[in-house]
Amino acid sequence: MTHSLHRRGDREDLKEDFVVLGCPATGVNKKGSSPKTKQFLSICYRHGPINLGDMKTGNIYNTTMDDVLSRVTDGTIVQCTFDNREKVVSLLKELKEKRPGISVIISGVTDIVQQCMDEAGLGRIHSLEYSLGTWGRTERLPDFEILKTTTMCGHAMIGDNLVRKMVRDVKRGRKTVEECCIDMAKLCTCGNYNVTRGIRLLEEMLPLYMVHSLY
Amino acid sequence: MKADPEKCIACKRCYPYCPMGTIQSCKRDERIPGRVYIEIDQEACTDCGVCLRAAICPVNALFQQEETWPREVRGIMSNPLIEFKGSQVPGRGTEEMKTNDVKGAFLPGEVGVGIELGRPGVGAYFRDVEIVGMALMRADIGYGLAAENPVTHFMTDKTTGKLRDELLGEKATSAIIEGKCKLERLPEVLKILEEAARKVDTVFSVEVITKVPPEGEVPLVPILEKLGVWYSVNSKNNMGLGDPAFQFYPEEKSEGGASRHDP
Repeated sequence: MTHSLHRRGDREDLKEDFVVLGCPATGVNKKGSSPKTKQFLSICYRHGPINLGDMKTGNIYNTTMDDVLSRVTDGTIVQCTFDNREKVVSLLKELKEKRPGISVIISGVTDIVQQCMDEAGLGRIHSLEYSLGTWGRTERLPDFEILKTTTMCGHAMIGDNLVRKMVRDVKRGRKTVEECCIDMAKLCTCGNYNVTRGIRLLEEMLPLYMVHSLY
Repeated sequence: MKADPEKCIACKRCYPYCPMGTIQSCKRDERIPGRVYIEIDQEACTDCGVCLRAAICPVNALFQQEETWPREVRGIMSNPLIEFKGSQVPGRGTEEMKTNDVKGAFLPGEVGVGIELGRPGVGAYFRDVEIVGMALMRADIGYGLAAENPVTHFMTDKTTGKLRDELLGEKATSAIIEGKCKLERLPEVLKILEEAARKVDTVFSVEVITKVPPEGEVPLVPILEKLGVWYSVNSKNNMGLGDPAFQFYPEEKSEGGASRHDP
């Protein structure tokens, strides 16, 4: 599925938000792909992702890198989230040189991803997927400010009520912004939640919402 | 997902964790005056497991019982930890464009169109999934469904998009219809989706996939701009690093060396 697509936000907001996926192909290179996926994951880890995980095992906020690595099997799809363009360029340079062999996908602002590829000497994007937005009963969606946070988890494991709770928790002094974002990162099993962006979004949200009581 | 009434103390800590909204309600224990517990609305719950994984319940009252058909489809479609055996891919869809560099699933001149009902965070009943699926198939515009996709698997008739009757009342956090057609049919597909959007009682997110040619503009862009359809500034991009590379053009040569031509 397209769990790293449909992230909401404008260009400025999304310019340092990248999800890098490593995916073996069923029927082509899936059989025996485990060492390749582990190599891909290890390379990604060296470049300092803000989040990293595998859908079935969890991410580095609810388990360890060693656990994620040890549970990689043939067919495991792994994800690494980066909050810095330069890290993505250096990662692509190493992937180009070492070529683990599985498919590599990057979700991010299209022209910035293309620039990163150019700087890494990779040429043009191979295939591309656009979001055409949300259709239907859009009046049922939460505020856009909340949507920017909830859509970071494509499986919708971060609900809008949870984001509101986090705002309340910060305002009532129960948790720090960082603690709230790590709690949300734990729920997004795959590791697609960008903690750096999450902190910024939550800080931006704080003045927009009132709480009934500070206790 | 259920809360064990014998254990639950109605502290409501699980309330905000549910992606489907507030689907819990307080019930009075008829045997013990003053004791309350919460009950999860089974109709609204998609068995995604977030509340359980959050480990927020102080008395471990939450539990996921093993469900039978058709209820089990909720967990299959909503809990990312459960793999749909038909696609062999964890999650709700297929590999779609993620492996296009080695599989050649989307060739030049083709467009992949995915319609994910219930996303983001609203949830969808399969009766709404059927409305969209049948509208696409009825139009006879050459929209071919992805065979390994769970929704395709749940269809009784893949030529009409009709889903199994027993599923229509089931709900998922989201369910995606995936397929492809010729690029020139994209305006018709989008018109059908525009009409379907007025009929469903949920939201859906639409995505389009294309092979980017070695030169020139992305083929989707002029079509979307002519139609005035909004498309995102961010996208999902295949880097073309998979081996063995699928050969899309006769003159193409893979950087990794090996190439595969198996249309």
